Amino acid sequence: MGILSVLIFLPLVFGILILVLPKTWNYSYKYLAVAVSAIQLIIATWLYFHFKTGSGYAGVNELAQYQWVEKFSWIRLEVGDFGLLQVDYLLGVDGFSIGLIWLSALVMLIAALASWEIKANLKGYFALFLLLDTAIIGVFCSLDLFLFYIFYELMLLPLYFLIGMWGGVRREYAAIKFFLYTLFGSIFMLLVIAGLYLSVTDPQTGNHTFNLVYAMNPANYSVGSIFSSAAHLQIFGFSARAIGFIIVFIAFAIKVPVFPFHTWLPDAHVEAPTPISIILAGILLKVGAYGIIRIAYGIFPDVASSLSWWMGLLGVISIIYGAMIALAQTDLKRLIAYSSVSHMGFVLLGLASLTSEGINGAMMQLISHGFLSAMLFFIVGVIYTRVHDRDIYNFRGLAYQMPHFTGFVMIAFFASLGLPGFSAFIAEAFSLIGAFSSQSLNGLLPRWMAMVAAVGILLGAGYFLWTLQRMFFGNLRLKLEDWKAQLNDISTREWIALTPLALLTLILGIMPFLVFDALASSVNQFLMLFK
Amino acid sequence: MVQLFTPYQLFCLALLAITAPFLSFILSLIFKKIAGALGILSIGISFISSLILFLGIWKKQTLHFAFHWIELGNVKIDVGILLNDLSVIMLLLISFIALLVHIYSVEYMRKDGLKYRYFAYLSLFCFAMLSVVIADNLFLLYAFWELVGFSSYLLIGFWFSKEKAVQANKKAFIMNRIGDVGFLIGLMVMLTQFHTLDLSALFGSENLISSSFVKNGIWVTPFNTLPSYWLTITGFCFFAGAMAKSAQFPLHTWLPDAMEGPTAVSSLIHAATMVAAGVFLLLRIAPLFNEVVLTTMVCIGLFTAFMAATIALTQKDIKKVLAFSTISQLGFMVVAVGVQDQAAAIFHLVTHAFFKCLLFLAAGIVIHELHHLKEKHQLDFDEQDLNNMGGLRKQLPITALVFLLAAMALSGLPFTSGYLSKDAILVSIFEWADLKGGVYWIFPLFISITSWLTTFYIFRVVFKVFFGEFRLPQLLSKSDLKIHEPSSWMRVPVVVLGVFCFGFFFAYNPFSLDSAWIYQGFIQQVHSEGFYHILVPLYINVLSLALIFLTYQAYANKKIIFNLEHTWFYQLSLNQWYFNDFYDVFLMKIVLFKASVFNWFDHNIIDGFIHFLTDLVIWLSKISDWLDKHAIDGLVNGAAALVKRIGIWLRGMQSGKLQHYFIWMLLLFLSFMLFKIIV
Amino acid sequence: MIPLQHFLFISAILFCLGLFAVITRKNAIQILMGIELMINASILNLVAFSRFDKVDNTGQMFALFIIVLAAAAVAVALVIIMNLYKRVKSIDPNQSDTLRG
Repeated sequence: MGILSVLIFLPLVFGILILVLPKTWNYSYKYLAVAVSAIQLIIATWLYFHFKTGSGYAGVNELAQYQWVEKFSWIRLEVGDFGLLQVDYLLGVDGFSIGLIWLSALVMLIAALASWEIKANLKGYFALFLLLDTAIIGVFCSLDLFLFYIFYELMLLPLYFLIGMWGGVRREYAAIKFFLYTLFGSIFMLLVIAGLYLSVTDPQTGNHTFNLVYAMNPANYSVGSIFSSAAHLQIFGFSARAIGFIIVFIAFAIKVPVFPFHTWLPDAHVEAPTPISIILAGILLKVGAYGIIRIAYGIFPDVASSLSWWMGLLGVISIIYGAMIALAQTDLKRLIAYSSVSHMGFVLLGLASLTSEGINGAMMQLISHGFLSAMLFFIVGVIYTRVHDRDIYNFRGLAYQMPHFTGFVMIAFFASLGLPGFSAFIAEAFSLIGAFSSQSLNGLLPRWMAMVAAVGILLGAGYFLWTLQRMFFGNLRLKLEDWKAQLNDISTREWIALTPLALLTLILGIMPFLVFDALASSVNQFLMLFK
Repeated sequence: MVQLFTPYQLFCLALLAITAPFLSFILSLIFKKIAGALGILSIGISFISSLILFLGIWKKQTLHFAFHWIELGNVKIDVGILLNDLSVIMLLLISFIALLVHIYSVEYMRKDGLKYRYFAYLSLFCFAMLSVVIADNLFLLYAFWELVGFSSYLLIGFWFSKEKAVQANKKAFIMNRIGDVGFLIGLMVMLTQFHTLDLSALFGSENLISSSFVKNGIWVTPFNTLPSYWLTITGFCFFAGAMAKSAQFPLHTWLPDAMEGPTAVSSLIHAATMVAAGVFLLLRIAPLFNEVVLTTMVCIGLFTAFMAATIALTQKDIKKVLAFSTISQLGFMVVAVGVQDQAAAIFHLVTHAFFKCLLFLAAGIVIHELHHLKEKHQLDFDEQDLNNMGGLRKQLPITALVFLLAAMALSGLPFTSGYLSKDAILVSIFEWADLKGGVYWIFPLFISITSWLTTFYIFRVVFKVFFGEFRLPQLLSKSDLKIHEPSSWMRVPVVVLGVFCFGFFFAYNPFSLDSAWIYQGFIQQVHSEGFYHILVPLYINVLSLALIFLTYQAYANKKIIFNLEHTWFYQLSLNQWYFNDFYDVFLMKIVLFKASVFNWFDHNIIDGFIHFLTDLVIWLSKISDWLDKHAIDGLVNGAAALVKRIGIWLRGMQSGKLQHYFIWMLLLFLSFMLFKIIV
Repeated sequence: MIPLQHFLFISAILFCLGLFAVITRKNAIQILMGIELMINASILNLVAFSRFDKVDNTGQMFALFIIVLAAAAVAVALVIIMNLYKRVKSIDPNQSDTLRG
């Protein structure tokens, strides 16, 4: 039992424990959940600080260079002529996943702290919450496509119930929309995974395998198999690998979300309870981007670089489009949801550039947006739990009423709009620098993309400042008179949740090398795939 | 001269100069009671360190310290401190003026409940601004550049319950953002072309800029090549950044609105230091600009200077006049950069910082005292409206004196600092136009007009505020309205600044640029004092003096009355050339309209498509449900029904009567036979 | 010599008469008699055709067989009729329709 397994299954064990505990312990569940996520965060932090960097620990397409690898035979099934069906329980961590694992642990802790607002059916809620926790960490750790897919789908189930049962007014609609949307993508991905299984062989045993790392090496593809790059097989007149890439990309692009697959996001965010919004924006979107990097780009690098222009275009459209729509929103949560679309566009743009700066910037954006969006949704939750309203026009001059809260809001907003000194600035600047230098370095993205995307930063300032001015400044004026008594400044618990997030965005803004150092060798190795 | 400090000690001092305000920012938020003292102490430390740095660096050495920060692919970014002549003079200027403004603010903000926040923000601003001038690379410079904008945002919106103030700070930040996008794009180009953003590597001695060249339409650097138009684009991008910060047309409308902040803030940030950061940036990267960009700079700077001066002629709000005056003067500096007389730009930046800061602080005293009056007697009037003032020289003699001094400096009258710096710019333009010839003579013409307009509008303020009769008692029909000089917290800073309006501090011979040490410190090519050096100041000043007399007659003695209020140019000027309306109507509406269109698109087309898909699936399922019920199940049920019907029919044969059976047998047999016979 | 056709005619007439009786009579005994007539018609046919098989006389063999079998069948039929009578007190086959479907 390695440390990664502990990290993954700890919440599951406690989730089962919660199910077993008597109903009378109802109010201890949340403390239990917080405790579990805190332990998880401690383990993740330990991992982060013991993560070895350097060219010998790059990972990506070298299984030997992954750290804390756990490998057990899981399913071995004799299938006639085809040999042995080989599914491994294979876990490992490299530069791309370590940061996201830590981020997930942190965001889960914040989400657990935000779960105080949940009042009904606590047992079910926290059991599902911890199940979700297991699935999320599992996705980031697994190196076997089969295992990955299981964890990936396992995330959907608790989320469906968490949105559908504890959500807002239109929760059922949102839950079903979210579920079907994601499932639509992943079902087709399963086909590609099956195709990969039929193509990839384990170099040691010669069996077909679901191993994700082996799938990144063209030498492991059996001759003439469907996804073999040497075979150039075609399906309906298109290259099989191109189709494989596009299917996997769409599956994850829905999760990210990339324009035009984003419409589930505002609905799901608006209807979901605050902690689930935090998880959705903080982690789930990152799972999508992680999948694009690890699977779509990692396994189909040839197609990825030939389609870079389109990827970059989608990124730019997401940036501008998300920001424009955010400008038109009056619901605070919807506004933040659309700003997520805009911010995640930078990830795609940086990634599409296939330059070191761009990919580092994209990864930084993942991590930075992870806790910034957690912070933003937490902020919405603070207001919503107090007065059950989120309409920007119903508030005025909150700075008087809640000065400390306004301080946090300003930090979150200015960090999100890319003020230097905060992590999002580093992330966005490097994504743009990568995209801009791409034409000179590898000729993939035209320069105008970076220049247009830079306008997105400007629009970001527009909607955040407008909200700040409209909701927090001016004279105190609220929709209802008795709101004044309800809108207290933030409690100790909320201080505990918001302070580390605010500090983190500052620390990473001033010391971005904390993230970049862990990433550097993995990114270099990753770029070698495209040479 | 003996070096008093080692380079390392100087570096530590520079670090101290920026960290002191930063610490003060944090401590002020914690120890709210002593925020003011902390602010003054920290900026005092900064000032002393800056002074030592100045003595150690000025005209002696250039120091550069850098630490490894980020390295990604081709990009290597360090953090560090670059100390050269430009840095230290800016350091000294900023810390000195900030110190005076801090002292002034103690009295100015005494009654404000959130005073600690004010001092915290002010410290944050000082930290950012001092860092901007000593940052050693463009990336760092950009970072602090935005931080300066952010602290300015905080200070403009300091009275956040004032609707106008929060509108203004939003506008300021967003307009600056427009420029910052340009700056950022510039950074990207530089990084692509030179693989570094280090200022000393790019622009220092053995610099990369000079090793790059344009040949056959290609911009070649040691690392990369780009089509040559990128050089122009880069220049424009950086210029856009400077334009926003230094409030140049078309990104100037935020600065007048920014006057909603406390007056002390306006004096420090929106007159003396932050707005000069744009000019500072242009100076830092001056070698980058090519001929196209430089000429554009001259055009924009001149247009801005002229436009703002015309607007300042008619404004009723004292702070608005000063704001437009600032825009106009910044236009002068941009022009100086454009004609490549950087020494004049820096010189004017420094002298302008003093006299404009003084103008604001003196105006602040007037506003402050009138505000007290308003509160004491519970009156209702606008304490910033020029029409409510008049004759205040009797009640505020010191203020009147220093304001007059600053006004003279702004007009560039002899013996003042403005005489030296402004005339240096004018002379440069004359020489530049002389060199270019032809149509370029329009520039000296307009700059002379602007110069006279400057004299006119500032003396209009002087005479309207301090001369003539105090109009407020008449307007409100109350006789016992008296104001008095404020305490020395406010008096001392203005007097100190007033002293610095004299030319002696900047040149031992206040008529000769040759003796102006700041100017000489930055002069690149030695040029002799030519014919323009005598002629230009002479003809500008003679007409200026005449104009002062005219304004005196018009606004103090009321001998001349202008009756222009209905003419188009009066309205144009009063409405600030309608730029605000234009932006509101065209840009804002268009962006918001686009946003709502996108929103509609998202809601109805993209989400509509998804809904259409779901509806389609539901319809399909309904159809297949119908088919299932009626066709497929119908087939099964139909088969069963058929069999049943046949059974019922056949049952009729089974009568149980023996002879019927025989008949059937017979019939069957016969029909079989018949069949056989026929077939 | 009597030609074959004559035999066949007579046999056909006999058969038809038998058939007529079977179908129309309301008395089970008369129906049985009709059946006998039909059997005899067939026997007549067999005997008439046997002229063409001089070696084995298969026709006559069959005729004898049938006569024996018919006698047995009549015996069985009469028993059935008696049992029927016992049960329904009638030998009109139309009176009993227990075979009805």
